[in-house]
Amino acid sequence: MWRKMIAMCMTLSMLLTLTGCGNSKTASYKGVTDSQPDKGLEIMGDRVTYDPNHLVNDGKPVELEWWLWDAADLFGSIAREYEKIHPNVTIHIVNNPWDGFWTKLPLALQKGESGPTLFNVHNSYQHLLLTYMEPYDIDVNDLEADFFTAKSHEIDGKIYYCDFGIMTGTIYYNKDMWTKAGLTEKDIPKTWDEFREIAKNLTIFEGDEMVQAGFNYNGDFENLMQGVPYQYGNTIFDETGTIPSLTQDGQKKTAQMMLDFYEKDHVGDKDFGTDAAQSFGQGQSAMVYKWGHFYGYLKTNYPDINYGTFEIPTVDGKPFAYDRYNGEATPGINKNARPEQVEVAQDFIRFYLANQEKQKELCMNYSLFPANNALREDKDLQSNPAIQAVSEHIDRYIWPGAMPATLGDNLKIACQDMMYNGTSIEEALKTAEDIVKVDLSNQEFVASENLYDKYSERK
Amino acid sequence: MKKRVLKGLLYITLTVVGLITVLPFIWMILSSFKSNEEISALHQTLLPQQFTLENYTSLQANFNFLRYFGNSVLIAIIVTVLVVYISCICGFVLSKYEFKGKNLIFGFVMMTMMIPWSVTIISRYTMFMKAGLQDTYLSLILPVMVSGFGIFMMEQDISSIPNELLEAARIDGASEFRIFHQIILPMSKNSISAIAIFQFLWVWEDYLWPYLMIDSEKKQLLAVGLTMFNGRYSTDYGGLFAATVISILPVIIVYVIFQKRFVAGVSAGSVKG
Repeated sequence: MWRKMIAMCMTLSMLLTLTGCGNSKTASYKGVTDSQPDKGLEIMGDRVTYDPNHLVNDGKPVELEWWLWDAADLFGSIAREYEKIHPNVTIHIVNNPWDGFWTKLPLALQKGESGPTLFNVHNSYQHLLLTYMEPYDIDVNDLEADFFTAKSHEIDGKIYYCDFGIMTGTIYYNKDMWTKAGLTEKDIPKTWDEFREIAKNLTIFEGDEMVQAGFNYNGDFENLMQGVPYQYGNTIFDETGTIPSLTQDGQKKTAQMMLDFYEKDHVGDKDFGTDAAQSFGQGQSAMVYKWGHFYGYLKTNYPDINYGTFEIPTVDGKPFAYDRYNGEATPGINKNARPEQVEVAQDFIRFYLANQEKQKELCMNYSLFPANNALREDKDLQSNPAIQAVSEHIDRYIWPGAMPATLGDNLKIACQDMMYNGTSIEEALKTAEDIVKVDLSNQEFVASENLYDKYSERK
Repeated sequence: MKKRVLKGLLYITLTVVGLITVLPFIWMILSSFKSNEEISALHQTLLPQQFTLENYTSLQANFNFLRYFGNSVLIAIIVTVLVVYISCICGFVLSKYEFKGKNLIFGFVMMTMMIPWSVTIISRYTMFMKAGLQDTYLSLILPVMVSGFGIFMMEQDISSIPNELLEAARIDGASEFRIFHQIILPMSKNSISAIAIFQFLWVWEDYLWPYLMIDSEKKQLLAVGLTMFNGRYSTDYGGLFAATVISILPVIIVYVIFQKRFVAGVSAGSVKG
């Protein structure tokens, strides 16, 4: 008897599962109706403005999904703030793992109006998403007046997403080691020659064994190779933005300088661990080159390390560009979503771009230099060492475009060949260049280097 | 004497290999009680220097861990029960009944085992989309409820049950339904245990298909949730280890329940006679 009872219970639970947990999207949505257009709220923003005193979707209930891969609470707080103004709108936050996001999102967008209405964008996946994206219904001139990197995202006079903040490389240094070596803030180097001397000062050997690296770039050589050559006036791509060159003087000189740090100056070593980040966190390296996200990494893994930052040194103090940067983007809008959803999404994007407080929170969270000009001098942002280090010359940083993976991958191989296999600089870079050229001939990639406003100064 | 020495050496070797195999697992469990700082420290220790439960207590804050866990348990149990039952029925029919096309059907079942899973995923995804099954648990259950591996195992196992036993039952008036439930199933416990363990494990650790099909966070499974610890720039190892430790408990429980019959079941399925 009891067996029959168990079987019946199991059958019942299965039926409940299969029927009760069906697709909830098919159920009609019953939300709140908003009948109060004038809420007595202030207009937000500078050039891109948002007037909250209006109804969206005529005040009728509407719901939409916003897909993202990180910081669900933070992005969710923007949605909640918007929902407070427009109670007829419900924005469902769907958090995804970064690894699978770029597999699932394009598939979901293929479903048309069943896909998410809003989705976070990373510029390196623009080619996967652009065909599904609705351009922002905001005057491009207003956007470019408020956001200094917006111009680099303009496509045929339209903007589909832009940066809320940008990230670039800086030198992180261990303050305790700095003091122990008798150095002060006045010693912060401006040029690579000065940097070399400081690194020598910070290097410690016990007999023949290095116990403290002055400068450790293990794992970051290829990142330096993508940024430092700009200081010599070289761009990676030609004027058309399609033909790459990795064998120019700037690239060779950068590679030589990095190799010399280890082989001539002995301020670090290729065998001194494979990960400069860990080595810095563990108090074995005095200086490393890292991007803004390193601030968060240290906070999570090595909260007790006493460190500071300074801007990447230059060759002669007058670089064409200090380094490259990359942006963190505002959300995209699904052009195939239902018309009322697109209308609300457009309104939400305007709210997002005019909301300086929320952009500030996002920049603080990711250690990003704000793309919104109004936040440039913000004291809280300036207190973040990763942001503070680059703020003085931020206009002298270049965005080369969403770099195809082949460039980074092959530069990495070239750097490993130079460091570990004794391959000559010319040969390693030429091999990388040849492979990248072949790979890019099969892609419709166009670099954005020529959108840099100092592009004419290149050599 | 020589035999005893060799036996002793064998045991020592097996113990060392066993320890090496289990060490990463123990390290993970112990590291789940360390802070991220200690996990990434230069000087590594097996035991936590500063014992913390924070990785466990903050699990629910990162994502709805208990909900994901419950969802995974539910789906894994449903799929396992279905696969076991369907495999047994199909195995019974294919091994004990004579009918036209039997070998062709069995060959077809075998063939499904040889098609790589990745080849079918795109067409399967399209089919489920068009059927409107996205974001439903049906989309996780339907594609795996009939298992070629399970049918093969059960066909092999049931064929070893003497036909005379079934004939005797028939003479005593037992229906085919009764024969299946009261003779075949109890006599196939070993193979059922093996299939149950395998199937439970496969469903429990499956990541891509549930991730593609399930959109709602309240319906998501634990394997997908665990990847949330891998951020774009860094990984919360402490949280990941704590979540993994809890997530493997059901697998261990299932294995402990079925382990006695597991080895016998695998052997029975692989050797006919």
